[in-house]
Amino acid sequence: MKKKGGDGRRLSGLNRREFLKASAGALGVGAALIGGGIGFPAIARAAKGKVKNPIKIACQGVASGPLGNNGDFMNKGALLAVEEINGKGGILGSKIEFNFRDDESKVDVAIKNARYFVDTWDADFLIGIDSSGVALALGQIMPDLNRILIVTHGSTNKYNEEIVFKKGIKQCFRSSVPLYQDACAGALVAKDFPAKQWAAILPDYEYGHTSWKLFKQTLKTLRPDVEFVADSFAKSGTVDFSSHIAKVMGANPEAIFSVEWGGELVTLIKQCQLFEVYKKVKYWMAGMGGAMDVLQGLGREYPEGLWGTTRYWFLYPDNPKNKAFVDAYHKRWNNYPSHNSESAYTAVHMIKQAVEKAQTLEIKELIAAMEGMQIDRPAGPCYIRKEDHQAVYSVPWGQIKHDPKYPFPILTNLKVFPAEKYYLHPPFTQAG
Amino acid sequence: MIPAPRNHGNSAQGLGAGLVVTGIFIVPLVLGPFWQYLIANILLLSLFSLSFNLLFGMTGYLSFGHAAFYATGAYVTGMLLLADFSLIVSVALGTAAAGVLAVILGFFCVRHTKVYFSLLTLALGMMIHAIVWKWTSVTGGDDGLVGIMRGSIKIPGVFEISLNSLSHYYYFLAALCLLGIYILYRIVKSPFGLVLNGLRENYGRVEFAGIPIRQYLQVTFFIAGLFAGLAGSLMAPLEKTVAPSVAHWTKSAEPVMASLIGGPFTFAGPIVGALAFIGLKELVVRFTDYWLMVFGIVLMVVVLGFRGGIVGFINDHLRERRRLALREHP
Amino acid sequence: MGERLLYLAVVGLSEGMALWLVAAGLSLTFGVLRVVNFAHGSLYMLGAYLAFHFIRLFGGNYWIGFALGPIALAVVGYVMERFFFRRIYRLDDSFQLLLTFAFVLIFDDLVKFIWGPVHQSVPTPPILSGAIMVVGRPFPAFGLFIIVVGTAAGFALWYLIERTGWGALVQATATDREMASVVGVNVPRLYTGVFMFGAWLAGLGGVLAVPMRSLAPGMGESIIIEAFVVVVIGGLGSLRGAFIGAVLLGMFHAFGVTYLPVFELALAYVTMAIVLIIRPWGMFGVRE
Repeated sequence: MKKKGGDGRRLSGLNRREFLKASAGALGVGAALIGGGIGFPAIARAAKGKVKNPIKIACQGVASGPLGNNGDFMNKGALLAVEEINGKGGILGSKIEFNFRDDESKVDVAIKNARYFVDTWDADFLIGIDSSGVALALGQIMPDLNRILIVTHGSTNKYNEEIVFKKGIKQCFRSSVPLYQDACAGALVAKDFPAKQWAAILPDYEYGHTSWKLFKQTLKTLRPDVEFVADSFAKSGTVDFSSHIAKVMGANPEAIFSVEWGGELVTLIKQCQLFEVYKKVKYWMAGMGGAMDVLQGLGREYPEGLWGTTRYWFLYPDNPKNKAFVDAYHKRWNNYPSHNSESAYTAVHMIKQAVEKAQTLEIKELIAAMEGMQIDRPAGPCYIRKEDHQAVYSVPWGQIKHDPKYPFPILTNLKVFPAEKYYLHPPFTQAG
Repeated sequence: MIPAPRNHGNSAQGLGAGLVVTGIFIVPLVLGPFWQYLIANILLLSLFSLSFNLLFGMTGYLSFGHAAFYATGAYVTGMLLLADFSLIVSVALGTAAAGVLAVILGFFCVRHTKVYFSLLTLALGMMIHAIVWKWTSVTGGDDGLVGIMRGSIKIPGVFEISLNSLSHYYYFLAALCLLGIYILYRIVKSPFGLVLNGLRENYGRVEFAGIPIRQYLQVTFFIAGLFAGLAGSLMAPLEKTVAPSVAHWTKSAEPVMASLIGGPFTFAGPIVGALAFIGLKELVVRFTDYWLMVFGIVLMVVVLGFRGGIVGFINDHLRERRRLALREHP
Repeated sequence: MGERLLYLAVVGLSEGMALWLVAAGLSLTFGVLRVVNFAHGSLYMLGAYLAFHFIRLFGGNYWIGFALGPIALAVVGYVMERFFFRRIYRLDDSFQLLLTFAFVLIFDDLVKFIWGPVHQSVPTPPILSGAIMVVGRPFPAFGLFIIVVGTAAGFALWYLIERTGWGALVQATATDREMASVVGVNVPRLYTGVFMFGAWLAGLGGVLAVPMRSLAPGMGESIIIEAFVVVVIGGLGSLRGAFIGAVLLGMFHAFGVTYLPVFELALAYVTMAIVLIIRPWGMFGVRE
């Protein structure tokens, strides 16, 4: 039998002196690491203008792993707003200071970052969050942190329906449209398709399950003749959808619905191409199919005619305000804004508007200022619903088309519905 | 049976430990919530790492699935608290559940060579992760358990202290962590601990001495799982949330790195390592997003040159100094 | 019904083949060097990214990436073995595992640092971009290509190990390193060679993955777990076992998704755990 040497070290029965010195040394090392890098005494800020200066906004998003560019788009959108506002004198004379951290899509990391932001960095506002699970967990502790949280991506409807409306955690807001966009608006689009047999490939977590459930419910009401013939749930991080595609295509559907997003949607669409899914299935709807990272990820490989939506489509609405935003973003970052960018940008502007209205940073008054707030954002006219603090605005569904003007495909044949028509409404007892 | 060595003078060791403990308890009086939270996490990781190192540092068995026990403690405690059980009962049962799991898994794991042991613990750990993710009705699935309340400590009719505020809960957590650490210390210093130590140094000789190794390993596995479960149980009310990531192999990697960095060959090593790990991560994250790379490099440096970790390094240095001093003044 | 099963079997086979190349390198490294290389998944990821890089560099030509990618990985393998692994062979198994783990962490961030967090994608080469009818249903031509390459690699490996002089040396060293060195085998050089070859295989796996999947940092992690399962089922150190194990796992997955979807997540780990408990050396592995 091969003898592999150990390390040749002995578990020293530490004698007292060594133990004392070792622990002192180690504590010193640790304390130096922590203290040296972290602690600056909280500088008392002179009150300049009406509110404290600077106003601190902290943001978290996924900046690593296959969904990593979400955080990147988010960061850039928020920074654009911060620079714009600071360039014009700030909020009531106070400058904005901005900070971004990677939450790795992990609940414990996000909570730790949030505590750091609030307790040590003195953040006045928290924005961001891509993952639904993280949004829910962070939302739960907002009463402890007592700051306003504006979620800019995480799409679970439990955030507005349960955390804000049912549990009454008033510090929570959301600037982006939730899964009503995928499921309910999607059903409104789908009802006009001749297709009767529907299937789905979805991510195997709450967002996937709830979206499909709501889509089926809504579509069945509008079109009693449809049938749902197959579905397949793919675990998080799937890179090979072959088995899922095989399962779903085995039921011969006429139409497929999906809420896979980011890199996983890119992979799914590529593989569907290879399996010639789009030759047989004429109607494909993807809730995140119009997101900038997917459009850029697929590029010329994105088949035309597929339906997709997002949480903000940069060419809609076609008005000067939106154009100005897109141009400014393009000039600053040499790229086009994704939904994450617009949503984070809007969140910062929401903060500005609220502080200007309330003339203070007191939480209760800021909440009152935000409830019902009308805001004209790049995505169009929008208001923050009082009961569940959800931003209400319309986003189009559209079909993919390659356009020589842009280095990625765009959405055309846009279908827009008034947001009130497809959002669910309080008291949320029945799917609209 | 080898007689246990006498404890060399408890006084100075006790003094050092006493200073640290006092420091820990003073924290909420002088520092804000962020620091309390940070030190609570360091204590939890210390306990978690010590439990892991009972296997690795002492017997040489590297478990890549230790988060399974941590997660069991966290989820069971979380679920019980959500069902309005008292805090003490929830923590106790959470820890016990982890212990039970450790007995079951230990039976399967300790039959093999070290490589298979590591792979099997990895597989089992990820299985627990999969269960936790899919069993939505019980564990909340990928959303996890949210809204866990910290509850209170009460003696009916006498008093009730609410632990809802962070500083109150901090004391509870610190007390239990330190108790756990102390118990582990006594175990390590006991005759039982001596045998384990022998396993790492010379497996064959211990076997030859007639000691039933498998049983020792199973008991060790149980203790390791139990205390990891305690750490997890205390985490749930701290964070008020338990998500599936606590069962992922990336969580299992934390005590591994902490023990390595601090030094797996002494008792204090994993504690020092926990401090260094959390401190380093806090620091690095402020400057760069690429903290994985930083840790990879640190790990590489440790494995290639400093396998005794920080504590080992300091010890070697002290030993050198003493050797030189003795040479001059024999 | 039979047609459906056959179709699913082909799907499973193509999933398995991609996995086999990674598992082969892993098994080889363990069989000869006795190192369990966690970083093997990262090598696969690097292979995919480097191939992508070459493809972009040479105007979208997939075949250049196909040729250069694995070679680049062999170079990476050389550096890893010669300058890092060689230092730790005498150490405890656990420390070797930890060194490979350190590489995983470093490579993950390195890829992000060089190519960014945005996922990348490359079209299938024109010759292989269509679909071929398998029992009346379309199946990607590239998927069949993967099956062909995987099988060819399997055959070539078998030939190399069983029928060539170098293969005999490898087998001898795997069985008894000291003896081999006594009879004149330059063991350190052999080790480097084997490791480089394993890296080359992982690189080939990566190159094959590029057209069908999107690239993102962290893709190494998912495949290494699957590769571990394969290698454990087949037996650590057995190439034949890795091949069969990969095919089996691919089939399990394909059939599982259709017929037993709720177990998909845990399937790989449960299988791995069961094998490790009941028969740790797998089907054809070396009993330690």
